[in-house]
Amino acid sequence: MSEVTQILDSIHQGDSQAAERLLPLVYEELRKLAASKMAHEPPGQTLQPTALVHEAWLRLGGGDARAWNGRAHFFGAAAEAMRRILIDKARRRKALRHGGGQARLDLQEIEIAAPAQDDQLLAMDDALGRFSVLDPRKAELVKLRFFVGMTIEQAAGALGISEATAKRWWEYARAWLYTEMRALTA
Amino acid sequence: MESDPQGSRPVTDALDREEAIFNAARSLPAPDRAAYLQAACGGDAELRMRMERLIEAHGRAGDFLEPAPAAQGGAGTILIAPPSEKPGDQIGHYKIREQIGEGGCGVVYVAEQTEPVRRRVALKVIKLGMDTRNVIARFEAERQALAMMDHPNIARVLDAGATETGRPYFVMELVRGIKITEYCDQNHLNTAERLALFIQVCHAVQHAHQKGVIHRDIKPSNILVTLHDGVPVPKVIDFGIAKATEGRLTDLTVYTELHQFIGTPAYMSPEQAEMSGLDIDTRSDIYSLGVLLYELLTGRTPFDAQELIRSGLDQMRRTIREQEPLKPSTRLSTLLDADLTAVAKRHGAEAPRLIHLIRGDLDWIVMKALEKDRTRRFETANALATDLQRFLTNEPVEARPPSTLYRFQKLIRRNKTAFAAAAAILTALVIGLGFSLYLFVQERKALRLEKAAVARALAAERQQALLREQAEKGLAIERRLRQIEPLGEKLNQAGFLLSQGQFQKAEDVMKDFPLVIPASCSIFNVLGDQHARHGAWLAAMTNFEKSVKVNPTNQWGFHYLTPLLVMTGQEEPYRRLCAQMLTEFTNTTDPNVAERVAKDCLILPPDPADFGKIARLVEVALGAGSANSDWPYFQFVRGFLEYRLGHFRDAVEPLREVVARGEVAARTVEADCVLAMALYRQQQAEPARAALEAARQLAEVKLQKTDMLDWNDRILAQLLLGEATRVTAPAATPGSEAK
Repeated sequence: MSEVTQILDSIHQGDSQAAERLLPLVYEELRKLAASKMAHEPPGQTLQPTALVHEAWLRLGGGDARAWNGRAHFFGAAAEAMRRILIDKARRRKALRHGGGQARLDLQEIEIAAPAQDDQLLAMDDALGRFSVLDPRKAELVKLRFFVGMTIEQAAGALGISEATAKRWWEYARAWLYTEMRALTA
Repeated sequence: MESDPQGSRPVTDALDREEAIFNAARSLPAPDRAAYLQAACGGDAELRMRMERLIEAHGRAGDFLEPAPAAQGGAGTILIAPPSEKPGDQIGHYKIREQIGEGGCGVVYVAEQTEPVRRRVALKVIKLGMDTRNVIARFEAERQALAMMDHPNIARVLDAGATETGRPYFVMELVRGIKITEYCDQNHLNTAERLALFIQVCHAVQHAHQKGVIHRDIKPSNILVTLHDGVPVPKVIDFGIAKATEGRLTDLTVYTELHQFIGTPAYMSPEQAEMSGLDIDTRSDIYSLGVLLYELLTGRTPFDAQELIRSGLDQMRRTIREQEPLKPSTRLSTLLDADLTAVAKRHGAEAPRLIHLIRGDLDWIVMKALEKDRTRRFETANALATDLQRFLTNEPVEARPPSTLYRFQKLIRRNKTAFAAAAAILTALVIGLGFSLYLFVQERKALRLEKAAVARALAAERQQALLREQAEKGLAIERRLRQIEPLGEKLNQAGFLLSQGQFQKAEDVMKDFPLVIPASCSIFNVLGDQHARHGAWLAAMTNFEKSVKVNPTNQWGFHYLTPLLVMTGQEEPYRRLCAQMLTEFTNTTDPNVAERVAKDCLILPPDPADFGKIARLVEVALGAGSANSDWPYFQFVRGFLEYRLGHFRDAVEPLREVVARGEVAARTVEADCVLAMALYRQQQAEPARAALEAARQLAEVKLQKTDMLDWNDRILAQLLLGEATRVTAPAATPGSEAK
């Protein structure tokens, strides 16, 4: 039984701390995956978050069909991990551009291409941060869509809500974040 | 500005209520919203204001945060930048009316021009963050040439500029029409009518080429058909835009690069797929015209766009550059019956007649436009049009089937690439395939040479008897050649289907395939392997049996078949195969082949008369030396042979080495099992039990999954587990230990 499976099991049995322990594992695995992918691909290629996350899921032993509940937790942790990785990258690139780049760029460092311009990504993450304080569940949906690249159906499945609900949440969250970002950049 | 939402409101409940109000209001027609909000918000003016702002934001948010259209399916590339134009806005001299289209890289609006003349135009705003100055500079550079274009089938590009938010835009003659492919299908245009439209497109492209303008992005959505007095007129739009927006690769985020690149991969010429970006000439447009013609004739592009995108950037480029597409008529015949009927119906024809019509001249014309090597394509768009015209008037076309030699080279090339994808399923097979193909080629060559010799003999020898004999021989060869020719095409088809992952269809194609072409063994092996990986043993065996029969010089078929036969209790056929293998491969010098043959022949205790041959094969394998990465496999087969010979003591050392090495679970299980038996036979019951227990536990952990790549090693491991359990079970307590 893999560590992930164990953690998922303990989540299932009501261990509330267990979800916390999942994140570092997923984070590590995603970084490793991304790094190994980049080693084999010419520079300047994008990595598809969905593909990475799915591979992480398989590699961490999630392949043997676990409870849906376990999947949901895993994808939640993966979304959070993808978010951290992408935001870290964007911050670092930004720091480099602004002369903060004395530290040599580590070649091994993962090079997930930012899905959009860094500034906008960071602004979006800020807004999302505020949103998740207000409404963590809807913010979770945005993370799954945005950082893992899930479709509405997949995200609804991962959150255990109906597709119709997911669609309503999504429209609301989009409008909320749009207003927030416009306020920021205006 | 936005009031701080983190205020003191009790959070989630309030937000849920807001969400409900928001979604309800949003779904109402605009005029009813105010009344609804009034009622829903009661006296809470702040809430009402927030709601109005959210709904207004929603209307403007466009595709904010939505996955980019070309990247649907979860690439995670999502648009953050919100669009900022809306009807009523003024951009330069143009006032935006309604939106009429949206593509991968831009939004198209109807706009009203006020100066110098009042007219309606199409205004295309490039959506992604390009370096606007460069785009406009490139456009300016080509403006002169664009202005010189004057053709009834070309929509003129009038102007370019930058919006207030810094996005580049282009102004074009307004064309209200539908995509050429849709027009043809909706109106059930027959093949001749389609060709007539297409010929006009060729002439338009030719005109542009003569003015020095290359389109670079010819595809159905850039060729619109409008009706003038009931007569369909195709119009090519977007001339000059691809050129102006290229060079984007330097100053854009990777995301936009990828996003734009995958815009229309299905129409991209091999030289465009190179992405060197420098060396594109008019012949690239000829290729794209070829793709368009292909689609007009078959309803499909030569390579499936979704498939290309899914395969990843590198594979996509490789496919476009290297893989030969199927001929249009062949492509049609690979469609499912229902799909084919649908395509034919859109052509107002019956399926067999459609295929018949396209086969031959049209096939060759399309394939000539689609040549990977641009020097082999039509020189000009006019040449392509002229050849189609010849076809329509039943004159001989210029694009002829290439010479037999050339065609033959292509057959090899096609097979190589088509099979390369299947190789991803089983790399090792390709080696076998290359060799079988080589044999296939050799066979054909020999047949040809022999034919020439026969002709010479005929001329030289005038004796009646000999003449008749030779003639018969010549006829037989002729027949054989004729038999092979169409089979090659079919084989190619199966390879293509396999590369697309369409195993069932490939199997259907191969079902009654005569077992005459050695090269086909690889196809059977791939099919069998697919079945075996899903545990469909009988179907797997049928395929492997064919493989062995059609090409007994390819060892893989034997290797796959033998453990299956033993597992299903077919000892007689198993022994026959072993005998055949020991004859066929007795002189092999390839250590891996030698190792596999030896192992395959040891699954059941062999005929004592065969030990000599097997021992020689094991020698060959061991001759590769301990530096060889497959050394543990060679050691295992050595231990296995010693055990079967009854040399229990000699078996122990190599087997222990294999177990200590670990790495491959199935191999370790096999070694532990044989080791257990060897130890037991030397009265070392305890260590034997330990080895067997280790094998069991490892098998338990590692060998349980389904969809297994190494299924045949797992079968052997299971067989040996069974044998070891039987051998080491204390006779007095039958069944107590055994599983």
